[in-house]
Amino acid sequence: MAASLLLAALLSAAGTPATAVPNGPGPSDSVVVATTAETPAAETPAAETPAAANPAAPASGPVRYRPRHLLLQTGGGVGMLSAGGGLSFAHRRLDLDGLLGYVPARHAGTALTIASLKLKYAPWELPLGRSGLALQPLAVGVYGSYTFGLRNPGKPDQYPDDYYWWSSTMRVGPVLGSSLSYMLPVAANGHTRRLTAYYELATNDLYAISYYQNRRALSLRDIATLALGLKLEF
Amino acid sequence: MLRGALVGALAAGLSACELVEFSPNDHRAPAHQKDLTAKNLARLAAAPLPPGDTLRFVFTGDSQRFYDDAEDLVRSVNQQPGIQFMLVSGDISDFGLGREMQWVDNELRQLKVPYLTVIGNHDQVANGREAYQEIFGPLNYSFVFGDTKFVLIDTNSREYNFNGRVPDVPWLQQQLADPAGARRTVVISHVPPQDNDFDPSLRDAYAATLRETPNLVFEMNGHRHDYSVTQPFNDGVTYVNSYSFEKRNYLIVTVWGDKQFRLKQISF
Repeated sequence: MAASLLLAALLSAAGTPATAVPNGPGPSDSVVVATTAETPAAETPAAETPAAANPAAPASGPVRYRPRHLLLQTGGGVGMLSAGGGLSFAHRRLDLDGLLGYVPARHAGTALTIASLKLKYAPWELPLGRSGLALQPLAVGVYGSYTFGLRNPGKPDQYPDDYYWWSSTMRVGPVLGSSLSYMLPVAANGHTRRLTAYYELATNDLYAISYYQNRRALSLRDIATLALGLKLEF
Repeated sequence: MLRGALVGALAAGLSACELVEFSPNDHRAPAHQKDLTAKNLARLAAAPLPPGDTLRFVFTGDSQRFYDDAEDLVRSVNQQPGIQFMLVSGDISDFGLGREMQWVDNELRQLKVPYLTVIGNHDQVANGREAYQEIFGPLNYSFVFGDTKFVLIDTNSREYNFNGRVPDVPWLQQQLADPAGARRTVVISHVPPQDNDFDPSLRDAYAATLRETPNLVFEMNGHRHDYSVTQPFNDGVTYVNSYSFEKRNYLIVTVWGDKQFRLKQISF
């Protein structure tokens, strides 16, 4: 089942021409894939959509760095609740997200604020019939986070040099996930919008090294974290 | 059938919830991995040692990032006859994270006997102190087992940036002044008082408190990852340091009489 899903995703990706897509606020490639599900090469119409047709399109400027989505997430080691946004590249297959998360004191001893950056690549997208749904079966990525508000992150001169070799505040780790998107009605200003629900399995550097050195006693389940989130593309 | 599926789905859902980690410093733990000190003390109280009986326990420390070794240690300790409990002299975790403390408990809860811990310096990194309190319990505590009163105290002064209040010497004095019906006393802490990580402004008061306790058998420490029996202050007070888990050795401590003891080294 999973294999055939993956195969279908591969075929779908293979049928997608690598056409340049305008980066204006018009409908994006991936959005069109979801709406015109019957034609796998669905990016072409998007590519041909003149930016001028959209009254909201900026005339010029570094539109490439316009935020393309908003995010709301729980877990993943970066907040009980975290919110942010991101940029999109490579036909919306590559996302660079920034999140600001919060953990109340009752869950961590002190109230924590966690800033994180995440780079995530989802190579395939599977339109699910005419439902307006599309599945991104696999996303891989990396994240890094910085935690503010720890009780004992170490003061200057508290420890001799190299007393603790790791940072308590900075974490990095790999991310693996999937997502399901749903086309929303077109906004009044003509923007195409899409809501995506995603999950991510991740771990961090400290868990990973613990697992690497103790593969008998620890399992991947022991070091995994789960994030659940919503992404609004516009 | 349907009920089975629902229960299965619920279990999977709950398990997934545990994976939704807010931060590595998030110390939430499943109910069976909270208040472990109180739970292990209750287990110990359920199998009391009659007065006059010989005390025998396993002494180890610094489990840190040595989970495979922990598995082997448990297997070895479970083969020792006549053991009443195990003491771990701190540094349960390596990075002060709650999940590490749960991993260590996943191994140590396989012991046939209860185990008790004292907090180490690594357990106080970041928000580890709160995680330790949530998962294990108090930083300073005492209990009586048979003829012996055990006093466990936080001596990780450097983690408080030498604020002059850790270890809590007045609390120690109070604990040692009240034997609570016991014949002898054992003090356990992670950082030994002669160590650079012990608050130098409290060293003399701490050592003097132990010296002035006639029924003290010894002080037991960890932190140095190796076995030693010394009298660093040349004042007649004996300090026993534990092996760390990765040294693949532990001690079986036997205590009888007023304060006679034997230390037996076991390799695993």
